[in-house]
Amino acid sequence: MIDGARPDAGDLTLSAARPKAAHPRVRLEGVGKDFVDKKGATLTVLESIDLTVEEGEFVAIVGPSGCGKSTLLRHISGLMPPTRGSVFVDGALVTEPPPDVGFMFQRDTLLPWASVYDNIRVGLQLNGTPQDAFEPRIGQLLDLLGLKAFRDFLPSSLSGGMRQRVALGRLLAYAPALYLMDEPFGALDAMTKMAMGRELLRIWSLEHKSVIFVTHDIEEAVGLSDRVIVMSAHPGRIKSDYRIDLPRPRDFREVRLLPRFRDLCETIWRDIGLE
Amino acid sequence: MSVDALSEKAEFQRRARFIWLRGLAEKTGVFLGAIALWEILARTVIDPFWMSMPSLVAERLWKLAVSGDLLYHTQATVLQAMLGLVSGLLVGVAAGVVLTRYSRAAEAMNPIIMGLYSLPRIALAPLFIIWFGIGLLSKVMMVFSFVVFIFLLNTMQGLRAVDQDLVDLMRSMRAKPGFIAWRVQFPSILPWLVNAARISVGLALIGSVLGELLGANRGLGWYVEYSGGRLDTTGVFAGLVALMVVAIALNTVVDLVERWLVPTRP
Repeated sequence: MIDGARPDAGDLTLSAARPKAAHPRVRLEGVGKDFVDKKGATLTVLESIDLTVEEGEFVAIVGPSGCGKSTLLRHISGLMPPTRGSVFVDGALVTEPPPDVGFMFQRDTLLPWASVYDNIRVGLQLNGTPQDAFEPRIGQLLDLLGLKAFRDFLPSSLSGGMRQRVALGRLLAYAPALYLMDEPFGALDAMTKMAMGRELLRIWSLEHKSVIFVTHDIEEAVGLSDRVIVMSAHPGRIKSDYRIDLPRPRDFREVRLLPRFRDLCETIWRDIGLE
Repeated sequence: MSVDALSEKAEFQRRARFIWLRGLAEKTGVFLGAIALWEILARTVIDPFWMSMPSLVAERLWKLAVSGDLLYHTQATVLQAMLGLVSGLLVGVAAGVVLTRYSRAAEAMNPIIMGLYSLPRIALAPLFIIWFGIGLLSKVMMVFSFVVFIFLLNTMQGLRAVDQDLVDLMRSMRAKPGFIAWRVQFPSILPWLVNAARISVGLALIGSVLGELLGANRGLGWYVEYSGGRLDTTGVFAGLVALMVVAIALNTVVDLVERWLVPTRP
C-alpha cells in the first residue's frame, strides 16, 4: 500500500476515513497478569485492563517502568497468555499469535548472520508473499527507508538507528493490520529518534494501520498518536485515556511548536507526576 | 579519499605486511633452531639411541613414504578418527536437540550423562575390546566415546543461548517451528558446533591412537607402539611427527570450515 494505492488517504481525518468495522481491531476485557517469582511470591503486573483499539487508530501507551506496558503487548500478540480476562483481535479470542499482527521490540532483533535484504525478506516469507514478488517489494522498502546502499550489509556493521530501520522494514514487509511497537525508538539518540518518528508518521499516513505504541517518552507519544493511554504501576492499571486532537497529517517535529501540543504534554506529565 | 589518506593507508598496509613477515621469519627461525639443536646434541653428547636424530627421522619418514607404509598407517588412523567424529557429531547433536526439547528427561538423565562424561574413557578400553573386537569398530567406538559428549553438551548449551527475543519475534509472525529451527536455532548453534568440532578433532586423534595402542595391526599409533617395542626411537619419532602433521592438517580443516560457515563472527 506504500505504492500509493490510496492517494487521498493522507488528507482525510481518521474517523471520516472509513466506515466502522464489525469488530474493533483489539479489545481487552478485564485483563490481568500475575508473575510468580522463585520464592513463590505472587506479583500482580496488570490488573483489570479494559481497552479497545479501533481500526486505523494510533494508540500510545505511556507509564513508568514496571507498569506492565510490554506485558500487555505480549498478551495482544499471543506470545504470553494473561492470567485473567480475555484478549480479542479482530473479534477472535487470542490463544496463539493471531494473523496480521506484527511486533517490533526495543532491541532490533535482526538475524545477526543475515543481510539487510534477507532480514526484510523474512517478513515476506512469513506472510505468504509469492517468491517472485520478493525482489521488487524489498527494493521498494529499501528505498522507502533509505537503506538502498546497505542492502547486503550485516546488522553488525550498521548503527543502532539503521538496524531499527531494518526491523521496521521487516515489519512493513510482513504488512500486518496491527502494529505492536514496544519502545521501538527507546534505545536511539535524540536526533535519530526524531528522524524515525517522522518516518513512522509518514509511512503510517500512507497505510493507516492500527498501531499500539509503547513508550515512556510523553512528547513522542503525543506527537505520534490519536490517543494516549496513561498507565500506573504496581499493579499496572489504566489511569487515563487522552484523545490527541492535533491536526493530521502531522510533522513529528513541527507539531511540537503548537500550543495545544504543549498543553497535552503538560496535562499528561502532571497526571503521571501526581501519583 | 584524499591522496594523503590513500598513502597513509598504503603505509599502514606496508607496515602490517612487514610485521607479518617478521613474525613468520621468527617462527621459522625458532623451529629450525630447535631442530638444529637436537641434531647437534645427538651428534655430540647424547646417544641417538635415546632420542634419535632429525636427519634419521627424516630419512625414516622418506622411506615410509616411498614404500607406501606412511599412507597405509595414516589412512587407518584418520579413518577411525573421522568415522568416530562423524558418528559422535550426529548422535551428540540429535541427542542434544531431543534433550533440550524434553527438559525433564534431560534433568533426569543429567547424573548419568555427567557420570559417563567424567569417566576416564581409557578405562572403557577392555570393555570395548570385548564388545567390538580389535578391528575398526573398537577404535571408532573409542573415538565416539570421546567426542559424543562434546557435541551433546555444546548443542544443549547453544540451544539454551539462542536469543529468545528472536524466537518470539518469529512466533509473533506465526512462523512454523521448522522455519524457526532453520532460520534462528540452527544458525545460532553453528558457532557452538564448530567449537565442539575444534575440541573433538584433537580428542578423536587421541581416541584413535589409544585404540591402536591397545590392540591393532596398523595405524600411526600402532607404528609408534611397534617401534617402541623394538627400541627403535627413530621409528617412534617418525610416527609422532606424522601424527603431529595429521593433527595440524585436521585443525586447519576445522579453521576453513569455520571461516566458511561462520564468516561474520570474529
